Amino acid sequence: MNRSALTHFAGIVIVLVILAVLPHFLRYHHQDFLIFLVINILVVSSYRLVTLTGEWSLIHAVMMGVGAYGSAILSKQFNVSFWLSMPLAGVVAGSVAALLCYPLFRMTQFYFLIGSFAAGEAIRLSWIHFIKPFGGTSGVSGIPSPELGNIDFLEPIPYFYLVLIIVTLCLFLLYRVEKSRVGLTLHAVHWKAPLAESVGVNTWNYRSLAFITGSVFVGIAGALKVHYIGTVTPKQFDIGFMVFILIWVIVGGYRTFYGAIIGAIVLSILDEAFREFDELRPAIYGAILVFAILFLPAGLESLPQRLREKFGRSGAKEAG
Amino acid sequence: MVSKLKRSDRRQFLKRAATGAGAVTTASLFPHVAFSANKTLTVGMNIPMTGDYAPWGLPGLYGCEIIANNINAAGGIEIGGETYDINVASYDHGYDTEKAIQGFKKLALEDEAKMVMMLGGSTVAACLPWAMRRKVLTTTLLPSDITPDSEYLIATCESHPLYNVTGVEWMAKTFPDVKTAAIVTNNDAEYGLQSAATYKAAFEVAGIEVVDTNLHGFDVTDFAPIVSSILAKNPDCVCMATSFYVTPIMEQLFHQGYQGKIISCTLDYYQEIIAKTSEEFVNGTIYQFPDFDDPALTEEGVTFPDPAGFDAAFRKDHPNDWSAVAWEYPAILLNWIENAKAAGSVETEDVMAAMKGNQQQFVFGGGNWWGSQLWGLDNALIGRWPVVVIENGRARIQEYGDVAAWLAANKDVLVKHMQELGLRTV
Repeated sequence: MNRSALTHFAGIVIVLVILAVLPHFLRYHHQDFLIFLVINILVVSSYRLVTLTGEWSLIHAVMMGVGAYGSAILSKQFNVSFWLSMPLAGVVAGSVAALLCYPLFRMTQFYFLIGSFAAGEAIRLSWIHFIKPFGGTSGVSGIPSPELGNIDFLEPIPYFYLVLIIVTLCLFLLYRVEKSRVGLTLHAVHWKAPLAESVGVNTWNYRSLAFITGSVFVGIAGALKVHYIGTVTPKQFDIGFMVFILIWVIVGGYRTFYGAIIGAIVLSILDEAFREFDELRPAIYGAILVFAILFLPAGLESLPQRLREKFGRSGAKEAG
Repeated sequence: MVSKLKRSDRRQFLKRAATGAGAVTTASLFPHVAFSANKTLTVGMNIPMTGDYAPWGLPGLYGCEIIANNINAAGGIEIGGETYDINVASYDHGYDTEKAIQGFKKLALEDEAKMVMMLGGSTVAACLPWAMRRKVLTTTLLPSDITPDSEYLIATCESHPLYNVTGVEWMAKTFPDVKTAAIVTNNDAEYGLQSAATYKAAFEVAGIEVVDTNLHGFDVTDFAPIVSSILAKNPDCVCMATSFYVTPIMEQLFHQGYQGKIISCTLDYYQEIIAKTSEEFVNGTIYQFPDFDDPALTEEGVTFPDPAGFDAAFRKDHPNDWSAVAWEYPAILLNWIENAKAAGSVETEDVMAAMKGNQQQFVFGGGNWWGSQLWGLDNALIGRWPVVVIENGRARIQEYGDVAAWLAANKDVLVKHMQELGLRTV
């Protein structure tokens, strides 16, 4: 293991240790906040995989809902255990994504963006329209918590550890995908599509693969969310939530694996910190976004580099 | 002189000055709590204060603050030998289930609220498992949230949408020439469909034929084609059920020259509707939520204390914020206080025992526990409910309808229509 990898590994271990002890120092409702934050980290990371091919979709929140509804219906109406319904939620979301690939990937760029929005709305409206089995706007409630021995997953700390383990595992898999040959090809599809095609890369297949894989992981995130909340509604996965995902990724940055994660963490904490300001909150949040876009166009992930450049340069000038 | 004080003296001076300033600031913020020797009793409001649902949350907080300030100014309330000041703690969940759970736990555990008031719907469903296990007394404005397992979830004021039957009953009696109705409302299982099913049942019982039921989505921005479609059926009455779009629908009815009867569950911000249409057009509209300066609220049986004074205080501080919920959350708070007094305790089980064991005084009179026949548990308090009509540009109560009597006679018709629209019944 070289020094860089060792530093990387040590950093991950430190973050995990901090996360493992953090809930014990938080107030009760902030423990819940932490659970949703960790789930949202999986949401943005899986979204980033889709964006690797250069395609930005507006359906990711709905794919999370597909997984959420899938797991909710399986566990509530067919008594399937959470331990099975949660991975099946990923399969359901991945399968729906596979079906959507054919119409959606006939389009690219802006057309794909609009097409994905339309497909997502069609799915979301079907949850509202078909009261059986989706429950209409009320959705499905009474979704059971996971069961494992005497562990009470209705309480936040046990559920947080469950989420932390599953999300860490999923992030590891997503990281490995990105660093694999497949991941490098996805980058190639984004930056040099004609060149990739000229050497035999089927760009349609790779775009579809990224979309399906991202949907599988976000489907799992959806299941994790609704088995804690106990209810799933179409509103949880509306365009408003999709905009949040986009903002987290854009503000955090999407060039590195951790950029989107930083965006989700920083903006979620800011949003919660400004809770006391009630009606001013959206304006404050918006101002932060504008500020970030104007002064950090490459996202928060570029901040250390920019700081190094700035202080490195001024330090060099002083030395000179 | 300050500048000549020794360092320790200066520090002490600054400390005292800061303490004094802090005390003055605190006192100005909480005039009745700051210098009171009473204990503090916290009630929670886990409601939408921002977003689309804010009109059904925020005015209720304003109303509860008026009630709490009045109680505290009068020396507090005595429960079980202790005197308490009321503190209303609130959390804005913006009608988001994630935030609703966080807010509920904050109010129950950190603010130690003895009762948590909520609007209803999916936000209540999300909080229920934890709230029921921890035995946190929770209230809703939508009794359709009640399930066979929701022992500590009660609806002590609004029995949405059951009271809508009183408006139809009154209309059928007063305007016997109304023979057909068209329903237009949002297609959602929490508000629109529940209300549409109830109106359908009420129309059937009253012998009024429903010629069209237009259930539209939440994304509609142009109501012209929807209103044209229902008017093409030539109904004697247009029913908006519990619509989120009362104002644009009323505007379209006005512009398309509709002259028949209009009935609705709510008519929030009706002065704005009059401004956009005309007083003549809005006059005669039937709905269910009174202004609290209505003379009929001084009638015997109404238990809300000094409704006109409450109405004036509310409109003085919040002139543009009165909505259906402005008095409902306060009514829930007052009912809870009365039962806590009767129980001599603020603990959930004791208050619940008092509620179920004693005769309840509903805000408009009467008061019977109901709900097991529809939702599996008798946790909705049903009483008299006013039928309100706009007269000369003002909301005026015409009579109080008997919801319990209608349900006793026609419950099966209601269940049939609920089931036809795919709604949950036991």
